[in-house]
Amino acid sequence: MKKMLLLTAALLLVTGLVFAAGASETKTASTAPAISYEVTEPITIEWWHALEQQYWPLVDEIVGEFNATNPLITVEAKYIGNYATVNENLVAAHAAGSGLPALTVANTPYVAEYGKGGLTEDLTPYIKATGYDIDDFGEGMIAATSYEGKQVTLPFLISTQVIYYNKTMADKEGITIPSQITDMDAFMKKASKLNSDGTTDRWAIIIPGWDQWYFEPMYLNSGVKIVNDDRVSTDLAGPISADLTKKFQNWVSQGYTYWASGTSASSNMRQNFVDQKTFSVIHTSSLYNLYKGLIGDKFELGMAWLPAGKTKISEIGGSVLLIPAKNDQKTKNAAWVFLQYLIGKDVNMKWADGTGYIPTRNSVLSSEEGAQFLQRKPAFKAIFDNLDEINPRIQHAGWNQLATIWKSYLDQIMIEGADVDTNLGMMADEINEVLADSE
Amino acid sequence: MMHNIDERQQALLLNEKSIKKRKISTGIQYTLAILVTIFMLFPLYWMLISSVKSQEEILRALPTFWPHEWHFENYKNVLQRANFSKYYYNTVVMTAGILISQVVTGVLAAYGFSKGKFKAQKFLFLLVLGALMIPLQVTFIPLYIMFANWKLTDTFLGLILPEMVSPYFIFMMRQAFLTVDDSYIEAAKLDGMGRLGIITKVLVPMCKSTLITITLVTFTNGWNSYFWPKIIAKNEVRRVLTVGLVHLRNTFAGLDTMNNHEIMAGAVLSILPVIILFFIFQKYMLTGYEKTAMK
Amino acid sequence: MKQRIPIQRRIRAGKDFATVLPALLFLGLFVYYPVVQVVRISFTNWNLINDNYSYVGLKNWVWLFQGSGTKYLINSFKVTALFTLGELSITIIGGMIFAVILNRITTSFSVMRALIFLPKYIAMSSAAVVFIWILNTQNGILNFLLAQFGKAPVNWLGDKNRALFSILMLTGWRTVGYGMMIYIAAMRGISKNYYEAASIDGATKWQQFTQITIPILSPTTLFLFVTTFISAMKVFQSVDVMTAGGPYRSTEVIVYMIYKYAMEDFRMDRASTIAVVFFLVLLAITAATMKISNKRVNYDA
Repeated sequence: MKKMLLLTAALLLVTGLVFAAGASETKTASTAPAISYEVTEPITIEWWHALEQQYWPLVDEIVGEFNATNPLITVEAKYIGNYATVNENLVAAHAAGSGLPALTVANTPYVAEYGKGGLTEDLTPYIKATGYDIDDFGEGMIAATSYEGKQVTLPFLISTQVIYYNKTMADKEGITIPSQITDMDAFMKKASKLNSDGTTDRWAIIIPGWDQWYFEPMYLNSGVKIVNDDRVSTDLAGPISADLTKKFQNWVSQGYTYWASGTSASSNMRQNFVDQKTFSVIHTSSLYNLYKGLIGDKFELGMAWLPAGKTKISEIGGSVLLIPAKNDQKTKNAAWVFLQYLIGKDVNMKWADGTGYIPTRNSVLSSEEGAQFLQRKPAFKAIFDNLDEINPRIQHAGWNQLATIWKSYLDQIMIEGADVDTNLGMMADEINEVLADSE
Repeated sequence: MMHNIDERQQALLLNEKSIKKRKISTGIQYTLAILVTIFMLFPLYWMLISSVKSQEEILRALPTFWPHEWHFENYKNVLQRANFSKYYYNTVVMTAGILISQVVTGVLAAYGFSKGKFKAQKFLFLLVLGALMIPLQVTFIPLYIMFANWKLTDTFLGLILPEMVSPYFIFMMRQAFLTVDDSYIEAAKLDGMGRLGIITKVLVPMCKSTLITITLVTFTNGWNSYFWPKIIAKNEVRRVLTVGLVHLRNTFAGLDTMNNHEIMAGAVLSILPVIILFFIFQKYMLTGYEKTAMK
Repeated sequence: MKQRIPIQRRIRAGKDFATVLPALLFLGLFVYYPVVQVVRISFTNWNLINDNYSYVGLKNWVWLFQGSGTKYLINSFKVTALFTLGELSITIIGGMIFAVILNRITTSFSVMRALIFLPKYIAMSSAAVVFIWILNTQNGILNFLLAQFGKAPVNWLGDKNRALFSILMLTGWRTVGYGMMIYIAAMRGISKNYYEAASIDGATKWQQFTQITIPILSPTTLFLFVTTFISAMKVFQSVDVMTAGGPYRSTEVIVYMIYKYAMEDFRMDRASTIAVVFFLVLLAITAATMKISNKRVNYDA
């Protein structure tokens, strides 16, 4: 009897397994007519973010205010980790169809991947149904947050690549950040200080190698097609890319710059800057307040646009907000209310003031408010002068894999001094594979 | 006569020499042993000391080997703000689940494979041993997909299920049960005991020390497990201490030296139960590995 | 009457079987069945972000053995082999040295032995964050101590030639005490007569050690070798916490490679293919070590 029972239990388990496996392969299509976007009953929702401890007081303040003014909705903010970790957790939860947040941030390059994979809810009907005005966002912002014409995400905290430099040093020694990549050789020589034994006493600039986003603009502005128009190949092994890569490699080997890579790369780079062991660093504008705080009154902090080539564009960084598609409608509705609040002008200005994120609204950027903002943060003039040059990220479902491969090859080229042409060739083969796999 | 005295003197001298020599070598051995112990304990000492320093003190260019001020609030911060109390709860439940199920299934199966008789017994036991050769690191992909389909991500069941049976446990307990003479079992049967009675009243008491040892190993393995919990319980609701500690390290992304005092407090908290157990059950925990070695 | 015996026996056998059934079921479901699955997935194009997948034949296998994946596979096996070699050396040589130093039957020595063995029970994640802190380039205590001897700060985890060594420091710290305990247990078993006879023959302590202790301990060494080998091959956690496989794959051991493709890129297809290869290698190594130890046992007998 016992044996029978156990056997039956075993059979049940196995059949359950088969069904479970079978179920995963069939996709259920739901076409429900006339959805209501109203929140009608109390609900608690989870919001995933990637804002580190230093931002938590601000997060608490903003979420607290929302909870106080929206009696039906209670938001719980959860720090998940950096953008890569948020991505890992989100995709995992999406695959499981459980444990999804009502609302989450995502780094800007993931928009296409999520849009294509069906992870994100198309927000267009929500925008229509609730008459939300998204026209106040610039065209670039809208383009950066949509996929194939669908508004799958909306801009939350937006930043861009900038160069931070030691303004006190610049004034004293007469150094300027070059406006053209072609002028960088001269800059490198002038801004760095080498010891007689060939070691570096002071770097001209430190280039973050841990995230390709930081050096992407220099490639784009030189005319490199990171993803070709055919969507399944890259131009990163082409002559323009090879030339620029060789330039970087040369600067590194001369000791003018160093390629910051590895687990502590970011903090090492920042420390070098604060200790005045480098004239400048490439980083994200969102860390402006952090740099300012770390430097204190040791020296004056300057901010500049990255050197240009044929063009002088930069790319939107930071995060967008999205609602996972596999949530139920009630959760989505509540998330939509909270989303509108988070991307609202007032909240956005709180972030812009408290951190280094850029105001997202046209009505702020090109008005008296913008002028006031600049008075508070004069260094942001470098960004405000170039607002039209901030572009959406390259959108491709294989982007994340491409970036990983690119970074890892550049690491070898820059730090190991590996041969540029051979390595870029191998790299392009690999990238073409993942692009084709993902398209 | 003369010869004799000479010899005795010589022996005496030799003896003195060798005593002196032995004293020196004993001294060297003691010194070396103490140095080695200090060397091995240093990381633990450094963890403990760093965990009660202030952020300012921990970042000083001249490190302090004894904290100037004691900041026990690091622990409070970690337990409350960094949610370690939640991680604690999750780890306790997960470990308890693993422990109970491994003991129950392990002891039962060990009985069946040592004292029971059924068809294909040898072959089935080989299957159990074979499972030892298939680590989670090979099977985690399908397991993860399976569990995701069953909606077991971020649940206790998801954390526990793959660890519910340990081939190692079965193997060790079977070895122990085999040493028990069958006459005890026959006697128990005559007393009218069933299988469960024989297992709990005869076999387990007779193999108590093995059971305690393996159970302790199971406990520490469960408590310290990282690979599977990292994959299946990413979310805070079911995050365990080991994963939570690494998560805490990331909360200051790019500022990774800033909160080392709190990270160290978290590290101390997560190893505390195991250390306490170690000192209570030292006898078993020290022999635990030797026992496996003797096989 | 005659017919009832087999029935009773069958019932008994059934009940006996019932005691092992739960264990077998779980092993079947959570160990053997996934092995079949992982092989199956290696022939698909499963990307976790997509809801669907299809079979693509040998595509992943070609990628791994005749494509861009090959050099990474070779790299990972190389790193894993180096790591394994390192852990083996520390456990066996270090364990032996520690055993010689600490092999004394007094209370103080047994306390010291316990303290040296303690790291084995410290969770790897806790140990790893402590070592990261000790090895920190700017504020780490190790670089501070080295600076007292005039050494420039060393980038322990960020330099590709040192990162694996740094991970081995942590691993060694946790396993050397284990090697020591095993050796001491075995040393206790060596009869005093051997040494007395040898010292009468005028053998020095060193000769006694190399000619008596080491040969007699060889089965113990073999045991340590086999168990450490297999567990070192599966290393993941220390790498994950300390270096995440970097800098540029210099610490990307095989399990980390599988993990990265599966849980970071969500390429279940590629990850499964590597996992199958890893499994086969593990099987081959296990078989080989079993053969060696069997020979050994026979030889000794």
